[in-house]
Amino acid sequence: MNNTGNIIEIKGLKKSYDNGKIKALNGMDLEVKKGEFISIMGPSGSGKSSLLNMIGALDRADEGTITVAGIDLMKTKKLYEFRSKEIGFVFQMHNLIPNLSVLENVQIPMFETKTSSKDMKKRALELLKAVNLEDKINQKPTKLSGGERQRVAIARALVNHPSIILADEPTGSLDSKTGEVILNLLKDLHSKENVTLVMVTHEPYVGKMAERIVTVLDGKCQNIISTL
Amino acid sequence: MSFLSLVVKNPFRNKTRSALAIVGISIGIIVIVALGMVTGGLENSTQSTLKAGAAEITVIQTGSNSFGSGGSLNESLAASLLSINGVKDTTGILRATNTSTTVTATTTNSSSSGFGAEGGVSITGIEANKLSLIGIDSVNGTAFTNTSTNQVIMGITIAQSLNKTVGDTINLYGKNFTITGTYETGNFITDAGIMMPLSTLQNLTSNQNKISDVLVKVTDNANVTTVSQSIENAYPNQLSTTTAADQANRINQGLSFINTASWAISLLAIFIGAVGVINTMIMSVYERTREIGVLKAVGWRDRRILGMILGESIVLTLLAFVIGTIVAVVGVELILTLSPSVGGIIKPSFAYDIFLRAFVVAFLVGVIGGLYPAYRASRLSPTEALRYE
Repeated sequence: MNNTGNIIEIKGLKKSYDNGKIKALNGMDLEVKKGEFISIMGPSGSGKSSLLNMIGALDRADEGTITVAGIDLMKTKKLYEFRSKEIGFVFQMHNLIPNLSVLENVQIPMFETKTSSKDMKKRALELLKAVNLEDKINQKPTKLSGGERQRVAIARALVNHPSIILADEPTGSLDSKTGEVILNLLKDLHSKENVTLVMVTHEPYVGKMAERIVTVLDGKCQNIISTL
Repeated sequence: MSFLSLVVKNPFRNKTRSALAIVGISIGIIVIVALGMVTGGLENSTQSTLKAGAAEITVIQTGSNSFGSGGSLNESLAASLLSINGVKDTTGILRATNTSTTVTATTTNSSSSGFGAEGGVSITGIEANKLSLIGIDSVNGTAFTNTSTNQVIMGITIAQSLNKTVGDTINLYGKNFTITGTYETGNFITDAGIMMPLSTLQNLTSNQNKISDVLVKVTDNANVTTVSQSIENAYPNQLSTTTAADQANRINQGLSFINTASWAISLLAIFIGAVGVINTMIMSVYERTREIGVLKAVGWRDRRILGMILGESIVLTLLAFVIGTIVAVVGVELILTLSPSVGGIIKPSFAYDIFLRAFVVAFLVGVIGGLYPAYRASRLSPTEALRYE
């Protein structure tokens, strides 16, 4: 993080696919302050998920600059290390490993952190308690409801004390009531864990829960609205 | 949870597919271990023919079979050969086969069909004080006396097959003989036979003063081949010689052929098994593409993903090693127990190198079979993997 207090700084970011035929990001500019909760909205194909992938170092941009948590993602080679330490992902589909228990699923990101098995279990239990799943730690994901699975995924995202949570349509596969519970949980944990929350959504009522709404269109930030 | 426990758990997500892969590799391991145990046992027995103390040269009549029955030589020949330079000791032996043995155990007074009912029991007539020349260094019990007409000693293999022990009685040529002792030489042919006084066997088989072979022990500093040649030169066109080393070499050549054949069969089985493992692991990686994307998203290094898939492949093949080894050992023991005529000849080897070889093969199949799927998984782009449907 730099002295401006921004945890994410993106300038003129470009990314195209299919030999330049598809311009996913076309000169994107964005700044996000540490501890902020922003939602990214826009129609399908506008570049929301591509932006999230760039912030989460799942992909590299073609041009521009992107600095996240003080790390220049255009230059760093150890993207896996950055993802392990700084980023927690929550996907639309929970993407839990079906043959592992809830507790084991939450521990998965800690394999790269040299944490002892005892401490891994302790941290996972702490988070499962925070998402109210302490009584289901030994269950397999297939036995859980959609909302419970997403809560496990949130615990997994937070387990390595990341600076940023990137949530890609976290309520997309849930009914509205369960979705609201998940959103409140995310917002609550974002405050308690002092973590920056960047959420992609196409549902206006979900977007309004954030402190700022960033609208993306044709690979560019079109509008930034503060909801505060 | 440790990384190792994750690697051990993962292969069993699709139990049927993993079980089929394990069966494929297990067949290869069974072939390697079972053939290894059998050929190893035969090799051990061959080595025993070269043991110290036993005669180095067997003299037979030219044109006859060294393992044949009946007397074709005069027994005075044994003494005559002592005059040849380099000969330390000699003894004449008579080989015979009793094809209608009935065994009666004095302790239980029960009767049963004898060992080798199809091929007969091999009986050798030899003087008691010359037993060491045939490789019998010690007798459990006592050896027969040369003048006895109703005493025999029995090889450990046939004794076990017939459930006989010292003091029991065996019927040979319609006459009851007391077993005064048992012996173990390590040579599967000798241990599957019976020894009795030379004169007794000569009388029983109407071969008075006749012998089938002369066993020759050479002096300590003599060259076996030279002495062997001297004997043949002294009796041209009458006597032929075979050295123990020749016999061992002939058997070893046969074993070498069996070994080569077993390796060819093993390699084929391994190849089929390896294809099965590659198929299993590729299918597993395809099915788990999205999951691999998640693992990359949460910060797993490519190397860890490679290690996980490779580890899963090795877990499959090592499990196949354990199952294959158990099946092979139990199977070989079972076959040898249920078939005394084979079990009497083959004592399976449990040499560690047989199991080590099977372990190395299983491990290598795991590595080779898992390498490409593991590499492919580790090189997946996280964004593409997460989009995979």
